[in-house]
Amino acid sequence: MRVDLYNLMMNRRSVLKGTSALAAATATGTLTAAPQAASAADDLRAQILAIPGVGKGQPTDADWQKVGAMCLDATKASVKEGEFKGVELSFLGLNNQNVHNVLFRGLSKAWADYTGAKINWIDLAQSDYNARLQQSIATGTVDFDIAEMGAPFEGDVCGKGLASVMPDWVAKQIDMDDYVGYLKAPVGTWEGKTYRVSCDGDCHNFNYRSDVFADKGLADEWAKAGNKTPWGVPTTWQQVQAVTLFLKGKKLDGKDLYGYLDPTKGWGGFAFYFLGSRATAYAKHPDDKAFLFDIDTMKPRVNNPAWVRAIQDVLDALPSEPADQLNADPGTTGFQQFLAGTGTMLSWWGDIGSNVNTNDSSTIQGKTAFSILPGSDDVYNSKAGKWETLASGPNFAPNMAYIGWGIYVMARVDADPVKQKAAWSLAAHLGGKDISLWCSAYPSGFQPYRQSHFNTKEWVGAGYDEAFITSYLKSEADSYNHPNAAIEPRIPGIFQYYSGAEDILAQIYAGKMKAQEGADAIAAAWDKLTDQLGRENQIKLYKASLGV
Amino acid sequence: MPPALKTTLIYAALLFWTVIALFPIFWTFTTSFKTAVDVTQGHILPFIEYWPDWKGLRSIGLSPDTIFLDSTPREEFFKRFYNSVIASTGASALALVIGSTAAYGLSRFQYRFAIWGNKDISFFFLSQLILPPVVLAMPFLVLYKELALLDSMVGLILIYTLSVLPIVIWIMRDQFDSIPVELEQAALVDGCSSWSAFFKIVVPIALPGMVAAFILSVILCWNEYFFAALLTSTTAKTLPVMVASQTGSQGIAWWAMAALASAAILPLLLIGIFLEKYIVKGLTAGAVK
Amino acid sequence: MALAARVNADRDAVSALVSDQRRILGRTVVRAALLGFALLLLMQILFELNNFPFGFPTWLPILVAYGLWGVALCAGSILQHGEAGWRALFVLPAILFTVALVIFPTFFGLYIAFTDWNLSSVDGRKFNGLANFYQLIQDPYFWNALGNMVFYVVSVLVQYAIAFGLALLLNADIKGRKFFRVSFLLPFMLSPVAVSWMIGKSMLEYRYGPIPRLARALGWDNPNLLGDERFAKFTVAAMDAWVWIPFMMILLLAGLQALSKEIQEAAKVDGATGWQSFWQITFPLMLPVSLTAIVLRVIFQLKLADIVINTTSGGPGGATDTISSFIFREYRDRSNVGYGTMIAEVYLVLIIIFITLLLKFTSRYMQKTT
Repeated sequence: MRVDLYNLMMNRRSVLKGTSALAAATATGTLTAAPQAASAADDLRAQILAIPGVGKGQPTDADWQKVGAMCLDATKASVKEGEFKGVELSFLGLNNQNVHNVLFRGLSKAWADYTGAKINWIDLAQSDYNARLQQSIATGTVDFDIAEMGAPFEGDVCGKGLASVMPDWVAKQIDMDDYVGYLKAPVGTWEGKTYRVSCDGDCHNFNYRSDVFADKGLADEWAKAGNKTPWGVPTTWQQVQAVTLFLKGKKLDGKDLYGYLDPTKGWGGFAFYFLGSRATAYAKHPDDKAFLFDIDTMKPRVNNPAWVRAIQDVLDALPSEPADQLNADPGTTGFQQFLAGTGTMLSWWGDIGSNVNTNDSSTIQGKTAFSILPGSDDVYNSKAGKWETLASGPNFAPNMAYIGWGIYVMARVDADPVKQKAAWSLAAHLGGKDISLWCSAYPSGFQPYRQSHFNTKEWVGAGYDEAFITSYLKSEADSYNHPNAAIEPRIPGIFQYYSGAEDILAQIYAGKMKAQEGADAIAAAWDKLTDQLGRENQIKLYKASLGV
Repeated sequence: MPPALKTTLIYAALLFWTVIALFPIFWTFTTSFKTAVDVTQGHILPFIEYWPDWKGLRSIGLSPDTIFLDSTPREEFFKRFYNSVIASTGASALALVIGSTAAYGLSRFQYRFAIWGNKDISFFFLSQLILPPVVLAMPFLVLYKELALLDSMVGLILIYTLSVLPIVIWIMRDQFDSIPVELEQAALVDGCSSWSAFFKIVVPIALPGMVAAFILSVILCWNEYFFAALLTSTTAKTLPVMVASQTGSQGIAWWAMAALASAAILPLLLIGIFLEKYIVKGLTAGAVK
Repeated sequence: MALAARVNADRDAVSALVSDQRRILGRTVVRAALLGFALLLLMQILFELNNFPFGFPTWLPILVAYGLWGVALCAGSILQHGEAGWRALFVLPAILFTVALVIFPTFFGLYIAFTDWNLSSVDGRKFNGLANFYQLIQDPYFWNALGNMVFYVVSVLVQYAIAFGLALLLNADIKGRKFFRVSFLLPFMLSPVAVSWMIGKSMLEYRYGPIPRLARALGWDNPNLLGDERFAKFTVAAMDAWVWIPFMMILLLAGLQALSKEIQEAAKVDGATGWQSFWQITFPLMLPVSLTAIVLRVIFQLKLADIVINTTSGGPGGATDTISSFIFREYRDRSNVGYGTMIAEVYLVLIIIFITLLLKFTSRYMQKTT
């Protein structure tokens, strides 16, 4: 198959005469200007999506190697065979089972064979990641050339001048124009410069069990319980609460039903995003870019009525959630609960959707659908200090939690032009247009983040159910493109804020503190942290990250 | 109580605890052969409740169908396994050499270094055992950076030596205390120096105890996670860090985690089964003469 | 250095055998080596402070120089003191090694405990005196974790009781003793990381883990072992016990085997029941071994962290937090190095006081102390 494909590519290249294959693929990816070339590009995309095929089990190392080899064309166009012989690159990333670095190893094997470069992998557990990065920066031991890093860390890395600015040829090779809108400037840049090769775009969407909301028996009971609205998928948090309380004690197919699932246990800061998803509709006013801090003073808003209401919602819902919820971190709610069939509604990153049909543990195939995060009937206006009901109806504010993983090249390679080219070539390979399509369709830890990822036909061709994938891609696209999307601050130490909040939230959820009292404690801790980190600087960087 | 009943109760209790001790180990090994469905349905007995699958071993490239193919996780696994072997045996050997000589000295001679007597020297060594490793994390990171020892096997061996040294000294001192002094005195009278008496007479007698101290050190170093995660990145990384990182944003691949955990504990289990005698000797040395 | 000058181990007749010439040569070697090392150290310090043009890019050569100085010190002490020098040579390498590795971390650790050092802070490290200490006094998380430590330390007594029972079983007249002994020992071989995952997360999984399923089969509807504050602490203690009971058991078994059978036989002849003979004879005789086992276990228990970090992150609501796991979060998740180190140093002082008191209190019952 690879020989056929290679011939096909060569053929296409001779047709295009001198234009790089990548430029061709870029120009024609979803358009139909040059039918022959387009079909070749589409063929490649269709062929990689068939590895191993949706419903054929989780992809393995052999599959990653295959995909990596098939997507090497762009590299071949810009790099001569063996050009990077003798170059060694250190790549720092996560070592999560089957994803991230483990996946990158397979995907980049063909790249390394072709270019002659050697890659040394530095693998970190997700929970060690932040600490390791901070220690490297603070002690001046940046011992890696490339880092897989989340956008929230840009404050720590780009803000300290440790990253290399992306050369133009890379921007062209990976076709940055294809990114969804919110990943372009200002969120995609730092102080006007581009550093990140995005390989992921993050937002929380709303995952729900379509079978539960289609069940006649439950609809009858819902009506009997005196509810005026028809039984259906909630679109506001007020409805989510009502459904969660209603489902307590109900059964479907003999299994206990639960409504919404709240992760209450810390996850190295990542669990805070889940409170955020409940809070953004209350706290993110369309007229205000900020929702977590006041942008001019860094005064925390986490203890304002909007956030406190979100915390109180969790407290009200917890008695109706599964009994072990107090020891459930986001990993548990997503994979041990929701994918395994416990719980009806869940906010999570898009990983859930790409895992429903491809993860071996999933038991909810054909029973799942998606939407953007629920809204709220009223929204808190922080500047006016009061709740408002918008004329346009409920307020929606999808939570762009984490903004996505990216591949960053460190400034330390800039001194050596060959090494610099090698590092950027690898980053561009892993963030390439076709490879990223494969990554977003299979379990990888990465989600769709390019306009070209939202072509339903390609997904259906790979074996996805059309209704399912349409619903999934729509929820993602609608979140990304939402005008009132909540974008977190990319300031130094942001995970310290989250992690500190997690500790206090655990106390609140365990009943040791009231919602307001706990929120005040979080705000006090955050203020203290801001002073420790340098308030003026934080304000400056916060503004820079929002492009204000 | 009739003797028959008593015997029955004793064996019942023994079997009960055998199950408690061995079931988790059984669980770890068998989970590496379970598919996701077998995990979520809580199947326990292989061949009866579920049919074992090579899933776990496949994920590290060690199943029959992947063992001859290229596999990046397998390379990684072997590299770390090798590093773990070098770090734990290297550190244990070094600790044994300087630890048992120190123990011998403390057991036989009275020292006075400035205001320090034997008791103080012993406490100085033991106090290294009391310290929670997290206290030293940042200082060690800075120190290792300045010494260019970050991510090196030498660096890892040095810090592991430091952490097991007190235990080696504790075990060996009691070993030497239990050897009658008269044997060496005879040799000294014959004109031997203290060192040749040590090598010719004491070491052969204390050898089983030294083996015990060595094995115990290997166990502790093999399982060490904290400093391995802190001080290594590419060249010197070890196995426990790989086991610990089997979770993240894609849920937990239980079979893979179990396969890695099994591979990580297997060498120690074999040590436990075949060298149990020595371990017991090592552990008892301090408590009983 | 003071060390070198005053090595006078076992100063007895042997040192008189050393000639004056040798003594002077020895002293010269030690002083020359010391001078060389001190000069090199001074040069490197000045180089680092940008006051001197020559130096090494890293401090590794200084470590090597320290090693050479150590060799010279040993040689010198042999030359000066003869046999006494040879005897000092037994302990010197271990002391020099330990000092080399801990001297910098100890002092640097003490220093950063008095600084405001958040790794993300643009300004870096700032000296802030006792501010970290005052913060600690008011930190409810610290006191909560300290309270939990009391629980965990007390739980050692329960482990001890179980271990004693097992040791008695193994000491009874049984067949297959070796099999049971090996089986009982094996949990001690497992790494805390593997235990946390395969037991803490897999076997205790609320829905399909074998332990909650067994509990349900036995009639406990809601075996929420790690999610409920009331049980979580006990569950963590149980996992910890599973690993460490073999350690105590082996110590106690050896103690039992060392007891003379005649004493127990004599008790039987006197007509004492099993229970009486245990409390009146076996237990008191076992007291020294027991205390050694307990003290050692307490030392290890005070460092309990791995299982907590991996299974509960200290939750729910701080119910299972230990000092080490709290420091770990402060340090790792919040990069708050200055404060984290202050907690660690204060904890270290508390441990040393506690262990010293414990040793004082128990030493008269123990066969051996340190």
